[in-house]
Amino acid sequence: MKTVIKTQGLSKTYTNTAVPVEALKDISLEFKEGEFTAIVGPSGSGKTTFLNVIGGLDKPTKGNVIIDDVDIASMKESQLFDFRLKHIGFVFQAYNLIPVLTATENVSFIMLLQKRPKEEMNKRAKEMLEQVGLGDKLDVRPNKLSGGQQQRVAVARALASRPDFVLADEPTANLDTESAFNLLDIMARLNREENITLIFSTHDQRVIDRARRVIKLVDGAVDKDETFDRD
Amino acid sequence: MSILFTFAWRNLWRNRRRTLITVSSVLFTYLLAVALLSFMGGFQQQMTESLIRQETGYLQIQDALYLDEPSMDHIFDHGEEVSDVLEKFGDKIDFTVPRIRGFSLAAKGMTTRPAMVAGIVPEKEDKLREISSHVTKGKMFSPGDDFAVVAAGLAELLDISVGDTLVLIGQGFQAVSATGKFPVGGIVELNLPEPDNTKVYLPLERAQWYFDAGNRLTNLLIMPHDTKRISQLATEMEENLDREWYAVRTWKEIVPDMVELMEMQRLVYSLITWVFYIIVGFGIFGTILTMLYERMREFGILLSLGMKRRQLALVTLVETVSIGLMGVAAGIVAGIPLILILIRFPIRFSGEMAAYMHDFGMEAVFTFSMSPGLFINQGFIVFGITLLIGVYSMRKIFAMNVLDAARS
Repeated sequence: MKTVIKTQGLSKTYTNTAVPVEALKDISLEFKEGEFTAIVGPSGSGKTTFLNVIGGLDKPTKGNVIIDDVDIASMKESQLFDFRLKHIGFVFQAYNLIPVLTATENVSFIMLLQKRPKEEMNKRAKEMLEQVGLGDKLDVRPNKLSGGQQQRVAVARALASRPDFVLADEPTANLDTESAFNLLDIMARLNREENITLIFSTHDQRVIDRARRVIKLVDGAVDKDETFDRD
Repeated sequence: MSILFTFAWRNLWRNRRRTLITVSSVLFTYLLAVALLSFMGGFQQQMTESLIRQETGYLQIQDALYLDEPSMDHIFDHGEEVSDVLEKFGDKIDFTVPRIRGFSLAAKGMTTRPAMVAGIVPEKEDKLREISSHVTKGKMFSPGDDFAVVAAGLAELLDISVGDTLVLIGQGFQAVSATGKFPVGGIVELNLPEPDNTKVYLPLERAQWYFDAGNRLTNLLIMPHDTKRISQLATEMEENLDREWYAVRTWKEIVPDMVELMEMQRLVYSLITWVFYIIVGFGIFGTILTMLYERMREFGILLSLGMKRRQLALVTLVETVSIGLMGVAAGIVAGIPLILILIRFPIRFSGEMAAYMHDFGMEAVFTFSMSPGLFINQGFIVFGITLLIGVYSMRKIFAMNVLDAARS
């Protein structure tokens, strides 16, 4: 299987605090195409920092993040905007949909920034919303959707542009059990069908139980990296 | 691109009430500024009209040196050369008003007062300012009459009335002594304090005789058909006259102090409108800042997703400028009928204010003026202010830390 992300000696130290904080310590990992990985660990273990760094939102203090044979750690900000747009999908804990756009427009938004043809964009947005079970909410704005439905739109948005991988930061943290399971089912199915690499940061056992690979971070370092056969 | 505009437009209406309040503040400031400047335009127009009709005309033919040294030594020959020019430009001239005037001493019995003796042709003056209708005692002279009409203030100072004899002593053309005895045939009310206390009117020929000036004049007032192109007409006329002896002056050249005063007025009114704009500018600025800060997290997320800073900056700029444009558009829609109504039905004064304005030879009304420039210029100012605020919000976007914003 093709390697989608490779980190080498990844370290991140925050120096803008009273005492320097080592958030990541020498992390070297590889993520293959189609993997469903959960990054777990207690609060402050470096999960979100790790996602931010491999998502190009934050720069490592040391080490490399190789995606598509390119070290994104050495990219300029403007290059990173383009890189994120083309290669990475994001799902956030608080859904973060654009409140003034409808579900279809939200899902189309990334494709629109990618300047995809309108017809393709609309077709794909509709298809994705149907896949997450919101075919009847195409023209509804986020404030008329439940939390679970909003997060499903966010998943559709992240996957619609067919990114190389999707980073999801605690996607089920704000959802009730039913909505969380529903979302996980959808993500697992899309992971299989679209063969998109999914990387979650979570301490939700429901997510961990679905993941085929679980990486545990403790104090910014990899404590465990286990693979499971869930199928 | 269109989704960015849609995005910006919908963002504006996320908080409908706030947007409407901000747009309304732009609208009312715009209206206030337009009304104020329209009033100033109307007032200055009225003032100019009054000045031109009372005193200067739009243009004057004078002796070349008269403007710098207005004395009897610098009066001009109203002869063939001037008549030829008037004939040549006859189609551009509505009418002309000849005058000769100079200072003298006016006396009755043992009382002497300084006086401005003016030789006039009443029929022509009447076309300009209906001076005959201001005669309160006796009558205005007609062709062939040989009496003086004295301004009411001066008549009171000299204790002179219709039927008395007025003695004038002054200096005529080329330092000749000017002396004359004239019966008083009328008293005229001039309203303006200074002329009312000094003016003595004589028939033009009698004044020319008094000053020993032959057919010379101090000024020949010209009222053109097209009052907007007076400078051009003055230049053209002057080109047809011997510039060593003659000059054609516009009213602005004749009364530069008044032009300066009007410029000052314009400046003061502009400053007042700028104060309005600064106040409303801060209002818009506050709204935009609120809109900006309450969406910091959203901006961070959008930038995380791959939206470019310049795209996001454009969205905020469109939002800001839209507020300004909506305010201006509403201002134009409301302002044009408002000003038209104020022009059609001007506000009339009564009481002391009316008397005060009458004293200055002006009609006691609040007059307004309207020009497309008024609306357009104010529109550009509001647009400029919102653009400036928009640039500030753009700078914020460009300086924003994506991760900090997304976490905020």
